[in-house]
Order: sequence, then C-alpha cells, then structure tokens
Amino acid sequence: MYQTLLTSRYLTSRVIPLIAVGAVALCVALVIVIVSVMSGFLNMVQSSGRTLMGDVIITYGISGIPHYEQLIQHLEKDEKVLAASPVVDGWGLLRMPYPDSEAKQSETVQVWGIDPSSFAKVTSFDESFQWETPTDNQRDWLLFDAITANKELLRSNMNDEEWNSLVEIISNASRTMNYESGSLWSDVQAILDVPLWNTVLGSDERLTNSDALLEQGLTLSQNGRDGIVSGLHVSEGNVRQKDGTYQVIRNDFWWLPRYEGTLTMLPVDSQGGIIEPESTILPFVNEFQSGVFMIDESRVFVPIRVSQQLLHLDEAEIIDEDDPTVVLGIDPARATSIIIRGSEDISAESLQSRIVQMYDAFIAQLPSDTIVFPPMRNDPGLSIHTWEEQQRSFTGPIEKERELMRTLFSIVYLVVAALILSIFWSIVFEKTRDIGILRSIGASRGSIVWIFLQYSLVVGVIGSGLGLFFGWLITKNINAIHSGMGNPPLSVAIGAFVITGCIAIYTIMKSREGQLLPVVLGSLGLITSGGLGALILFIRHIGGLVVWDASVYYFAIIPNEVDWPSSIVTVLGAILFCLLGAIIPAAKAADTDPVKALRHE
Amino acid sequence: MSSSIILEGKNLKKTYELGRAKVQVLLNASLQVMQGEWVTILGSSGSGKSTILHLLGGLDRPDVDGGDVLFHGESVWTRSNKQINHYRNTQIGFVFQFYHLLPELTVLENTVLPAMIGSHSTSTSSAKDKATSLLEQFGLGHRLQHRPRELSGGERQRAAIARALVNEPSILLADEPTGNLDEETGNEILDVLAQLHQDGLTVVLVTHNVEIAAMGNRSVHLRHGAIEQPATLAQ
Ligand SMILES: Nc1ncnc2c1ncn2[C@@H]1O[C@H](COP(=O)(O)OP(=O)(O)OP(=O)(O)O)[C@@H](O)[C@H]1O
Ligand SMILES: [Mg+2]
Repeated sequence: MYQTLLTSRYLTSRVIPLIAVGAVALCVALVIVIVSVMSGFLNMVQSSGRTLMGDVIITYGISGIPHYEQLIQHLEKDEKVLAASPVVDGWGLLRMPYPDSEAKQSETVQVWGIDPSSFAKVTSFDESFQWETPTDNQRDWLLFDAITANKELLRSNMNDEEWNSLVEIISNASRTMNYESGSLWSDVQAILDVPLWNTVLGSDERLTNSDALLEQGLTLSQNGRDGIVSGLHVSEGNVRQKDGTYQVIRNDFWWLPRYEGTLTMLPVDSQGGIIEPESTILPFVNEFQSGVFMIDESRVFVPIRVSQQLLHLDEAEIIDEDDPTVVLGIDPARATSIIIRGSEDISAESLQSRIVQMYDAFIAQLPSDTIVFPPMRNDPGLSIHTWEEQQRSFTGPIEKERELMRTLFSIVYLVVAALILSIFWSIVFEKTRDIGILRSIGASRGSIVWIFLQYSLVVGVIGSGLGLFFGWLITKNINAIHSGMGNPPLSVAIGAFVITGCIAIYTIMKSREGQLLPVVLGSLGLITSGGLGALILFIRHIGGLVVWDASVYYFAIIPNEVDWPSSIVTVLGAILFCLLGAIIPAAKAADTDPVKALRHE
Repeated sequence: MSSSIILEGKNLKKTYELGRAKVQVLLNASLQVMQGEWVTILGSSGSGKSTILHLLGGLDRPDVDGGDVLFHGESVWTRSNKQINHYRNTQIGFVFQFYHLLPELTVLENTVLPAMIGSHSTSTSSAKDKATSLLEQFGLGHRLQHRPRELSGGERQRAAIARALVNEPSILLADEPTGNLDEETGNEILDVLAQLHQDGLTVVLVTHNVEIAAMGNRSVHLRHGAIEQPATLAQ
C-alpha cells in the first residue's frame, strides 16, 4: 500500500510529528496523573471512612444510649450485620509528658472510649498501630526506665562498686542516648547478676516479650492497668520524614509508650450542665495512624469504661431524693454511639434502613417495666447515619474539589483536542500540494484521507503510550517528586548552573559565527536553566516548599496508585482525538480541487 | 500512422469563480488528438492552456453543460469518481512545469507511486523493475535512492516523466515541461519526449514557445477561450 509508505516517510522525515507525539504524551500524562491522584484521594476518603467508623453509626449525643449491650446483641442477630461496637466519645484534655520542664503541655483530644475487640471487628483498628515490636533503641529506653523505677531495689542488692559502675552507665546513657544508640542493654546485663537482671526485665513485659507492645495496644491495657492509644500526630515527639516514615525526636527519648498521660474530661449532668472535671492517669500503650490527618492529630482511644467513668455515663444507682438510703433502681451504662459494620454485599444505605427497623423493633420488645428507655426514633438527638452522612463536614469539601476537578478536566480535554487538531491542521495544510500530486496520478480521496488517518493513529498510539508510561512513572513516584520539589537537592541546582554555563559558552561561540537562531535558542535555554537553578536556591533559602500539606489534605501521603480504568479511557480518548484532529483537515484537503491543491505553495 | 481519434475535447467550457467575479477561461474549446500524434497547444500566458490540459486529463471538471472529453470515443466526465481516478492513473501521464515530485520519497519511490496506487495488491516488484528501467533509460540509474531535492531540475523532470510513464499510459500530457529549465536542459527533455513519441506515444504538449511547437506533428492556438481551427500542420 502506497499510503503506508507515505505515512512512514511523513513520520520519519519531519520534526512536526515528534512535536505532536510529545504534545499528546504530555497531555495524556498530565490527565493520568491528575485523575489518578484525584481518584486515589477519593478512594482513600472512602476506605478510611469505612475503616475508621464502620458503615452505619447510631448516635445519641451527650446523654448516650442505655442498654446498648442488648441493642448490639439484637443488631448482631441480623445476617447483614457483621459486627457492632459501642463508643463513648467526648472531648478531653491530655496532659503530655513533654516538655522536659515541670510545666507540661496539654493537647485537646477527641476521646473515643471503645471495646477494643469488637471495635477491631467494625473498623481496622487492629491494623493501624504504629509500633509493633520495639526497636533495640526503644528497648534500651525501656530498660533505662525500668532501672530508674527499680533503683531502690537495685541499690539494696548490689555492692558499692557494682552500684557505682551502674550509676555511671546510667548517667552516661542519659546523655548519649539522646542522640545515638548505645550498648546499654549489654552493659547493664554485664553488671547485674542473673536474678537481679531478671527482676529488672520482669518489671516491664515489653522488655522480654516482643509481642507485648502490640498486644497492649490491642487490649488498651498494660499490666492490668487501662491504657491509652493516641493518634500519631497527637504527640509532638513524632516527626514525619521525607520518605513517609516517622522518627521520634531525641533519638526516641520522646517515644510515647515510655510515658503516662493525664486525661481530663468534662462530664455533663442530665440537664446538660457541666459537673466537676474528672481526670485519670493512663499509660500510653501504643500509637495509631489512620492516614487521615484530622483524625491522627486529635483522636485517642481508651477503654470504654474509662470514658464512661470520666463522663459519668457508667452504671449508677438511682437513689430516692428524699431518702438517700433507698435505691430505686439501676441507671444502666450508656454509649454515645454504636458503630456497625455490614457484610460486603450490602450498601451502607440499605444497611442503614435495616438498622432503623431493627432499632424500632428493639425498643418495642423491651419489657414495659424498664426504668430507662433508649431514645425514641423521633428524638431529634438520635441519629442513624451512614458513615458518609456522619462525615459530611469531612467529605463535603472533597466532593466540592472533585466537582472543580471535573470542570478543569473537561477544559484539559478540550485543550488536548484543540492542540491535536491544530497540529494536524498544519501538517495537512503543509501537505496540500502533495495531495494534489497524488490526485493527479490517480489517488482517490478516500485513500488520501487514509494516509493521514494512519499518520494520526501512529502519533496517537505512540504519544498516548508514552503518556501512559510517563503518567504511571510520575504517579508512582509522586511523593518522592513532591518532597524533592519541596526541598530540592543542591546537586540539581549545581547541575542547572553547570548546564547554564555550557549553554552560555555554546551561545557565545555561535554568536561569533553570526547565526541568529542558535543565539535565540541559547538565550532562552540560558534563562530557563539559570532561572531553575536560582529558583532551587531560593526554595532552599526559604526552607523548602510544601505543596501537599498533610493538614490541609487530610492524608499524610499523596495517593500514588494509577487509576487504570480512567487512564485507559484517557488513552483511547487521546487516540480518538488524534483521529478526529486528522480526519477533519484531511477530508477537507481531499475535497479541495486537485488543480488548486497543485497550485498550493 | 493510424488516424483514429484517441482523445477529444468537445465544446469545453470552464469558468473560475473568484469571489463574485467569474473568469471564463474556456468558452468553447474543441480539440481532437489522433493516436500516436504529438499535438502542441500554443497560447499566451493565462489563455487557459493548463486548464484545457487538466480537463483532458481528468484532473479538472468542465462546467455543467460545458462539453465533455471523449477517450476512445467514450465520455470521461460522465464517469464515476472511481473511474475517473482509474482513467488518470492508467491512461494519462501528467508532466508539470514544476515537476511535482513528492519531496519525502526517493526518486524510485516517486516513480513507482502510480503503479502502487493503481494496483491494490499485485506485487510491486514488477512495477519497481519497470520504474528502474525507465529511470535508467533516462540516465537516472545512479539516482534511484536520492531525494528529489538532491537532483537538478532536468533530472527531476526526467524522473517526473518516468513517473508519468510507469503505468504505460495511452497519452502523455505535458504542461510546459521545459518552462523551468535552461535551454540546453530543456532540449534534453524535449529529446526524451521526441524519443517517446517516436516509439508510439501520443503526446499533448502545452507551451508558449513557438520553437518548441515546431517539434510536434501539429500545433494549435488557444485564443479567447477557444482552439483556433484549422490547425497549421507543421512540415
Ligand atoms: N483556481 C482558479 N481560480 C480562479 N482563476 C483561475 C484558477 N485557475 C486558473 N485561473 C485563471 O484562469 C486563467 C487560465 O489559467 P491557466 O493556468 O489555464 O493559464 P495558462 O495558459 O496555463 O497560463 P500560463 O502560461 O501562465 O501557465 C488564468 O487567468 C488564471 O488566473
Ligand atoms: Mg499553465
């Protein structure tokens, strides 16, 4: 076929198809990156919404739902309900172990009192822990704490010489461990006799059992004491690194599982008035990371009875006002919400309507002599929401953003189409005389259109294939690119200046030869690379740029999964636009009178 | 020499529209070309010489009710587009003043092109052989893989003639083939055409040069949109 010969020659003997391929690749890559990040973002919202709060939430504000345990049993009878779990939540103040001085800092936290085992069935609580086994360095700190805590015992069981060397080791460690890992473990083990060493180790389970740290998080308890699990961004000791991992400042000195915190909450009486604040001291047993910044910076988990006690929502006796010795009955413990996970085959909306019916049925079957009834469904304080409704304030802005992105997208697509159309228009226009020649030797209109269709098909397929590749590459590495942009390495700046120097030399040499185009191009390159270098120095000077601010975008990392369905649609769309962009001018060219086409200069 | 009419333009009318103005280029032009004849169409610049050649060659359509072209007595312009394409491809060889070779193709590829267009699947190797032998015949055997821009004007015109002949057309239509060449090179081209004519090819040549007209069997004048009859028979 002569068309194939011509197509391949047109493709290989000009620069313009390269430009067209580049333009298509650029547009396709751009769209793929944006679509992937956007839909990754929405997926993260979607999945984190479910993993953090189940599918459906029954909430009864401040005074809570009584008989919640029976209600949960009732709900769990339904085959579509996988699990349900009670939550007692409220705002609290958490006194942190830092700073080093007496005046400690307090963080405002959203306290969720949970029953850890059922909570883990509804959410992915059990998969969200930051610490699973302590590192050697963290274990050294735990040992350091254990020795400090057992110092009386140790003193009384050691001779002066041993004691003095232990004191020296510990005081050395208290300085050096703030910036480097040491050999505290083996140093101490060498001094202590076996029974004493075992006593020290026995004082903290985490020293000997590598699973203890995770187990304590899962059960929210430590040595029989209630514990607290806090969001990773609650503590200011955790600092996010460029690669997305976390480092605890002062070489794990501020590693939260070493410490205790004081949690204070404000209980409210039945009239909604505030009673004296209640406090309790809880050891930090672990930290969690949900990936949603808003949650990680403020939420803490405690056992449900702790928050019930702090909020006065625990079981209590109802006492006759006239005679305090007469007990009228028991006011049952309450949960402020019940979160429910449905089976995979049911949507949150249909689960919600089932729950509504079951809730009504539950109240109806309660014995009539029940002292305290759960709220009726027409009570304005009661809500039975899907997680989406519950988190409107959280997902609302994202949906707005999605709308904005959609609008921007249609513009991007139009730009792509216009770009391709104009490139092909100029290609075909340039080839008008060839079309006349081909017609004069007997080529039909259709076969001429086919030349340009083939041409555009090749440009479209190669361009969008490259675009797909680069889109994939950029999306996969978007976090690295982002942090690189935020704090560009000096070597790039140096590289840019070296290139600037080379271009400068080249330009000066060419200008001596009296050629204008290389000088113009050289100057442009000079400005670009010099500007790039200067920009990098400037960004470094102001201490880096943060484009994707975790506190604004909720998530700690930028989604980096390619959205394949949308990408394939984009690729096919780009190819289609290439075909359209070529077929219109080609048909027009084939229609022009061959004699006129021959006269075309 | 056989005296049958191979190609005939009958009462051809052609009007160009330039915006609102109408340019009547051909008013009533008739021309008969005998088999094996060399006819020269003479005329001043802008008289419509190229136009009549395009009409004869199936490249440009006469006005509605503007006459017809008969090839072997059969109407050309009542045919379907496909048949007209076929007519251009197989029966007519065009040679233009500005060569009109495709710049991206080599000389050989340019020459084979009409054969490739005409044959949809038959092997191009025989066409290639034919093209190669034509190019060798015109002294371009060492230029097969060159691009047109690497050739001189005369070489380009010879390549264009080879292209026009590759499908063994019945008639060669040449539109001022020497118009863009110096005299010596032009004469070389005319020698090539004379040789082809000698071998039996029918040639219609357009020129405004009376000396060149002397090379044909017969020349006619195109004036005021019509062919002046009777033709003056040379020699
Ligand atoms: N596409 C067109 N639109 C308008 N006018 C045209 C067109 N093609 C040709 N003409 C006009 O028709 C007239 C005849 O043109 P043609 O090219 O046939 O002349 P020609 O005799 O070949 O002249 P030359 O010797 O200069 O080649 C000219 O006046 C030209 O301007
Ligand atoms: Mg002309």
